[in-house]
Amino acid sequence: MRTTDVGPWQRELVEVVRAVSGGLLFGVPLLYTMEVWWIGSHTEPGQMLAVVAMSSVPVFLLNLTSGFRKRSNVRVRDALADTVETVAIGIVITAVVLVMLREITLDTPPVEALGKVLYEAIPFCMGVALATHLLRGGRTDADEASDSEPARVDSDSERLHATLADLGATAVGATFICLSIAPTDEVPMLASAMSPAWLLVVVAASLAASYAVVFVAGFSNQDARHAHEGVFQRPASETVACYLLSLFISAVLLWFFQRGLLPWNDGLARVIVLGFPATIGGAAGRLAI
Amino acid sequence: MSKDATKERGGRSAAEWTTFVASCVVLLAVVGLIVAQMFGTSSPPAPVAEVRLPYRVEAGSFHVSVEVRNLGDETAANVQVTATLEIDGETTTADQTIDFLAGDASQNLIFVFDDNPADGTLTVVVSSYSLP
Repeated sequence: MRTTDVGPWQRELVEVVRAVSGGLLFGVPLLYTMEVWWIGSHTEPGQMLAVVAMSSVPVFLLNLTSGFRKRSNVRVRDALADTVETVAIGIVITAVVLVMLREITLDTPPVEALGKVLYEAIPFCMGVALATHLLRGGRTDADEASDSEPARVDSDSERLHATLADLGATAVGATFICLSIAPTDEVPMLASAMSPAWLLVVVAASLAASYAVVFVAGFSNQDARHAHEGVFQRPASETVACYLLSLFISAVLLWFFQRGLLPWNDGLARVIVLGFPATIGGAAGRLAI
Repeated sequence: MSKDATKERGGRSAAEWTTFVASCVVLLAVVGLIVAQMFGTSSPPAPVAEVRLPYRVEAGSFHVSVEVRNLGDETAANVQVTATLEIDGETTTADQTIDFLAGDASQNLIFVFDDNPADGTLTVVVSSYSLP
């Protein structure tokens, strides 16, 4: 979706999706760190305010040069307004993901939930503030134009090559993100707390995040990706195929680190839980090629 | 003047103002919650353990569910919970540790005994904890 061809509300929606996508790309690895959950659960109110204030400073500096909005001539007051939005979006998306991972439930005391969200939100806010510069994206229209020239794919062999390149990039991106998560105790811990219905929620969220990062957020190369006509390279089929590949990578890494895939229902739950960061890593990998 | 030209000069559209106002509401709510905690009363941690009936029997063993709740406002760390079952003068002891228990939070533990707790006296207590 080219942001210059749409109305202000749709353009704003794309910019917010871009912000959320940038936050996910940057913040997901820290979500799978139980020590951060614990630190958040016993944080004093003064420390919480300090966390919000201190994370706002680098976010403001990043918003002066990057940010999640594609515009030039950023004034200080624009950067200040963007900083408020960046921190708020970071906090909201972190809370949503922690609820999805069952780290925040209706039984979680509000103070504990707030502490967890504020600590986990720090990298999310950085990711939101870096959104336009992530993965070769640019703030200016010139950058966008140079990034979004549709690639011509003429022959069957070129289509196959493009498809294999996408699958390879997905595998590399998923492996890169999950290598540091798969060996940890967080994956079986999170998986054990999920009912089958919650696992379906995680599947849906993984697919939505992957689609948003690659096809909605307006990162580099997006229009070219929409124009591809390879084996899996229509948006819906590419999203599903790359999600399945991310699940396979997750299963291989869990097996590799001897985290156990049996009995099958426990193994499936672990694969789906690890599949969330794997899918986001895979989406980042596809944008990077 | 085109919409893009307006944006280049720093004017915010109604959609952008909507995002900004919603963001201000979120941030004010977060800061408000934090400030309310700063000026509210805060009681020290007070974890207590309570046995949940009925017992569950699995493969000949008796599984006893225990709910540990922190009645205080501050977090307790390394909460040690000890279960003691005494039957005809014979005592069986088991213990578990909870890493962190936030104020007003609860956690369920399961203790497993070979003998039926209903045949003797089962005592479950929080034996120690530390301040994080």
